[in-house]
This record gives sequence, structure tokens and C-alpha cells, in this order.
Amino acid sequence: MSVSGIFTQRVRGFRVVEVVALGLLAVTILGVYLAKTMAGSERARIAALESSIADEKARIRLLDAEVAYLERPRRVSRLAETYLGLKPVDAKREATVETLAVVAATPVSLPKPAAAPQPAASQAAAPQAVTQ
Amino acid sequence: MSLADLMPLRLPPAWRWAGEWMWRVEHAFERARAAGRPQDDARLRIFVVAVVFALVFLVLAIGAAHSALSGPTQRVDALATPGARGDLVDRNGALLAVDLKHWGLYVDPREVWDTAGTRAALTAALPDLPPKRIDKALAGEKRTYLAGGLTPEAKDRLFALGLPGLIFEPEERRVYPLGSTAAHLIGFSDTGGVGVAGAERALGDQLHKTAGGGQVPLAIDVRVQAVLEEELGKAVAEFQPIGAVGLVTNVRTGEILGLANWPDFDPNKPGAGGPGPQKNLAAASVYEMGSTFKAFTVAIGLDTGVATPQSTFDARQPFQLGYRTIHDYHAARKILSLVEVFQHSSNIGTAKLAESIGAQRLQKYFDGMGLTKRAKVDLVESASPLTPRKWDMDAVASTSFGHGMNVTPLALAGAYGAVLNGGRHVPLTIRKRAPGAKVDGPRVFSEATSAEMLKIMRANVADPIGSGGKADAPGLSVGGKTGTGEKYDPAIRGYSTTRQVSSFAAVFPTEGAIGDDRYFVLILLDEPKPSAATYGYATGGWVAAPAAGRVIDRIAGYLGVPRRFAPPAPTPASTLAAAPAEPLGGGL
Repeated sequence: MSVSGIFTQRVRGFRVVEVVALGLLAVTILGVYLAKTMAGSERARIAALESSIADEKARIRLLDAEVAYLERPRRVSRLAETYLGLKPVDAKREATVETLAVVAATPVSLPKPAAAPQPAASQAAAPQAVTQ
Repeated sequence: MSLADLMPLRLPPAWRWAGEWMWRVEHAFERARAAGRPQDDARLRIFVVAVVFALVFLVLAIGAAHSALSGPTQRVDALATPGARGDLVDRNGALLAVDLKHWGLYVDPREVWDTAGTRAALTAALPDLPPKRIDKALAGEKRTYLAGGLTPEAKDRLFALGLPGLIFEPEERRVYPLGSTAAHLIGFSDTGGVGVAGAERALGDQLHKTAGGGQVPLAIDVRVQAVLEEELGKAVAEFQPIGAVGLVTNVRTGEILGLANWPDFDPNKPGAGGPGPQKNLAAASVYEMGSTFKAFTVAIGLDTGVATPQSTFDARQPFQLGYRTIHDYHAARKILSLVEVFQHSSNIGTAKLAESIGAQRLQKYFDGMGLTKRAKVDLVESASPLTPRKWDMDAVASTSFGHGMNVTPLALAGAYGAVLNGGRHVPLTIRKRAPGAKVDGPRVFSEATSAEMLKIMRANVADPIGSGGKADAPGLSVGGKTGTGEKYDPAIRGYSTTRQVSSFAAVFPTEGAIGDDRYFVLILLDEPKPSAATYGYATGGWVAAPAAGRVIDRIAGYLGVPRRFAPPAPTPASTLAAAPAEPLGGGL
């Protein structure tokens, strides 16, 4: 088909070139409409997610600051002394891995453990020990 | 010949190609007319125009679809607002300063229905706000800024009132969660996000670059800082000075691990206590340090070869040098070795050593240690020293034992670093250095001098005749030097015998290789008052050394310095198991 034929050939009274151009136009309009519609909803979702992330980040920063505030050394020290009676560790109570064997071999004055429970048979034989 | 041939040659190739293309199209039209088909001529022209339009539309459609689907390529971070700053954290990541979203409250009187009710509600909700300010805002005709820095809770409480005309705008506010802890080192910034003092000012550019969640790590360790502040606070409570400074530095890297001042302030409300407490005494105040300078004179004497540890100095009589007659505070009235001069803190011995060193060499070494210029540190508060106008024998005598020259505690720490780290003057820094970083600086002393000074300073603490015995900590081989500088009193045009600056400059561990990490601790009290427990003394050895020792004892674990005790005599396993006399480990 010659170049001029594109303009002269007709289908059901319409020039081919016009039908093709109209079709292209319709496809383009539909494509742009669909693209923008889908993109708009996606963009709104992305914006909502980003806003949510920003809010969460701000919340995390607020909580981090709150933790740092509550863990102020002066506060922790005061609470530890007031409620737990804790004090800085004395150097004499420090040990290294190398000295553990020596420490383990050292008798310590621990409180005496409670008397072991008596077997049932002996309990019967010595009821006083249980009732006292 | 073509149209392109007629076009100027200076046109770019693209324009020439377009011209030639136009010429060919036009030539096609001419040929169509010449062939007697003028209708083809018109159709061709329409076709070309239609094709051009179609191409343009196609490009536009593709571009529109692409931009619609891909969205913005660059995200704008919600936190990166003007004046926003990155977080400040300590060397272990503990939060020191952070930007938090707060709310600014505006009032638009045109939207307020119930003025009296709104006034009452605002007065009740914001009791710190002057009522006059609320009245003025409500009586105006335009939107007015009423209060800033509202926390989310405060904003929610106001918002829940449902009052029309109240408008809330988000704003970033700098918050210092640790309050007064390390306040002078961290500093503070104004409401516009501009650093005013401390690290906030010194690292302003870096903080702005990291805005939006980034972090800038400082060298300080909050645990070390807390111990330093607590022990300094105890010393302040006991000796009632007018000011106090505590410092902990790593002499190898120059990192400032702790910096405490008393009085202190809360950077969240920096103006609450007036301008006095805001002053960083460690960086911005200069003192005549007194005998802590003797470590420098002794180190210079050793480094120049003027003296050895065994050199002797006659301290039996006061010594005349320049215009001064020099006496000893603790007069030994005997011939002292160099080590004994240090241990007895003999002014006479030190001045005689300085005389042998000479003014020129003394000044050169002081320059090298950074004592004659403002301390090299990031903090802009770092003050210049007061130095002798003329380095004559009078100046030599005075400066050799810490008089006639005023320096900042930071400058003293920097100079001690050069004495104790192998001989290099490493600038102090508030920034965290990379682990294991090799830090260089100009050499001031030889390594041998530095090693000898560590031994002498250790002897001053470990030896019963030394002045620093109260600073010893078990197994940490603490070394140190006391300092008691009498303050100049303009009223009597001389040095006061009752007002003094008492300090203790300590180092630990003195054992180990010369290139190891080693820590300098300074406790300084300005005009301490003696107590019954100190038998009326307010000298460095009585008021500052114990605090320095307690600080060292408590921070060694945080800094990874192991306690090393002399190895016990070998004991047979049988006797060990039988009954050791002293339980090791304190009954762990």
C-alpha cells in the first residue's frame, strides 16, 4: 500500500487512518486514566505508610528518651541505695577467672543450710522434729 | 545544493540534521506538485503534522504514566526540619541529647466563641503562662503564638478541651534526658536549633548533617561521668568549695571520658540558675594550679638531662631566686633526691631544678605541652592561659611549682597527657575515636622520661612519705601529684593563706607498656574549707586525693583496667585447702 493509500482506503465509510488514530487516542486516554487512578491510590497508601512510619519513629524516639530519663545514673543510684541497699563493689569482692580456683578452695562462712527433710519412716519415729 | 548548505556552518550538528530533514520533506512536496498531484502534496503535509503530533502525545503519555507510577524519587524525611539536629550519644550509645516533636500553641481570637471560658481553661491548663499573655492573645485580632514546647501529653490535654480557636503546630525541641549529668560537656542549644555551649556548639555542623535520626557519638562514658559527679559531689558536700572540677581522660587518645563541674545546671532549663552554673570551669576558668606543675618541672629536668631520679637538691634553707624567696610548705630541711623533692612537694628543690633547666628551655617545654596557649580541644569555651610576660628567673621560680601562671584544668590534663603517654602532646577531644585508633602528636618528652615519671608518680602514692597516699586504689597502681595553689588576693596584693585551689592529678595504671591505654583523673576544688576529719587542712592531699582515689576505684572496671596484685607466695595445695588465713575474693 502506497503512502497515499493510507489516507484513501476506507472501512465502512471511515478512512483507515482515522479509525486507527481514534483507536490509539482511546487507548491512550484509557491508559493514562487507569495509570493515574492506580497511581493515586498507591500514592495515598504510600503516604499513609510513610506517615505511620514517621509517627512510629517519633514514638520510638520518645520512648528512647523516656528510657534514658528513667535510667539517669543519679536516679538509678538513689533507687539502688534506697530500696535495695546496694553500694559500689568493694575491690576485695572482685575476682578474675584466674583467681576463681583459689576462691573456690577458700572456705566461706555461709549461713548453715536448713535441716534436710526426714524420710517418712524416720518422721514417724521422731514426730517431735516435725512438730517443733 | 540543499538548504543545509545554506545554513551557517557554526550551527551544531543536530540543527544541521533537522534542517536537512526539513529540506528533504519540502523537496518531496515539490516533487509531488511537479508530478501533477497537488492533492498528494496536501495529504503529505497533513500526514507529517499528524505523525509529529502523535509522537509528541506518545512521549507525553509515556512520561505521564512513568511519573504517575514511579512516584517521587526522593523522599523528604519528616524529621529533617530547619534547625533539626542529630542525637548526641555517649561512647556506648547512651542517649544524651535528642530532638523530640513538641507542639506550639497558637490562638486565633476570631474563632474563639467563649472568651471567658477559653481564658479560664488556658489558665488552668498552662499555669506557668502569665495571665496577661493569655489576655493579650485573646483580645487581639489575629493568630498569636501563645506557648511553645508543649509535650504530646500537654497538647492532648488541651486538644481534648475542644476549644475552638486553639491551633497546634508541630515543632522540634531539644531534650536532654539525663538532666544535669554531663551538662557542661553536652552543652545546650537555643530554640532555633543553634548550639550555644558544649558539644552542642562545638559539633553544630555535624549535628545538623545528621538531623533526622542520625547520631554523633561523644567520647564520654556515662558510667564514668556518673561516678565522677557523685564523688565530686561528696567532696563538695564535705569541703564546701566555691567551685569544683572533675576530669577523666585517656592519655593515649586524648578522649575526654568524663567532665564534671560544680555548680551544675539542667540544660533543659539552662537559664534557671542564672549564668554562673552554666560556666564550664574545666574549660573556661584558669587557675594557678600549684604543685601539680611540679610534675612538669621534674619531667623537663629528666628529659633535658639536667637531673636524674638520684640527683640531690639542698632543701635545708629557703632559696632566693629572682625576686622571690622560696620556702617549703612541708619543710623537710634536708638534702632531697629528685624523687623525694616530688614526694615532699618541695618548692625549694623544684625551683633549684628549674634554675638549672633555665628560662628558655622551661618555656619551650611549656609551649610543647600546650600550657602557654588555649587548650587544644573541640570546646569553644576553652580559655587562654595567663602566662608570664617575661620569662626571667622570677617567672622560672614561680612557674616551676605552679604559680605565676594560670591555666585551665583541660590544659593541665592535656599537658599531663604528654608526660604520661610516652611523651606526645595529643590534643584532647570530646569526640569518640575509633577503637584502637593510633593518635599522633608532636613529641615533647622521650618515652624513657615518660616511663620514669610514671614510676615517680606511683612512688608519690605508694610510698608512705608521698603526698598522694590517700588516692591509692587496690591493685590499680595509681600514681599522682597533689596541688595546692594559694589564690592571689587583690586586697592584700599578695597570696592568701586561707583561700586556695586544691587539686589532685592522678594516673592509673602506672604499670604496663608505655603505649597502653592509661587514664588521667583530676579533682580540683576551688577554695575548699577544712573539716575536722582533715585536721584543719584543705590541701590537695586531704581534700582532692581521696575523691580521686574513689573515682579510680569505681571506674577501673568500666574502663577495663584489671586489678593486679603481687602474686602470692606459692602454697601447697594441701595447706591451701586446709585453712587459708585470709579468704581471697572476700568470701565470694
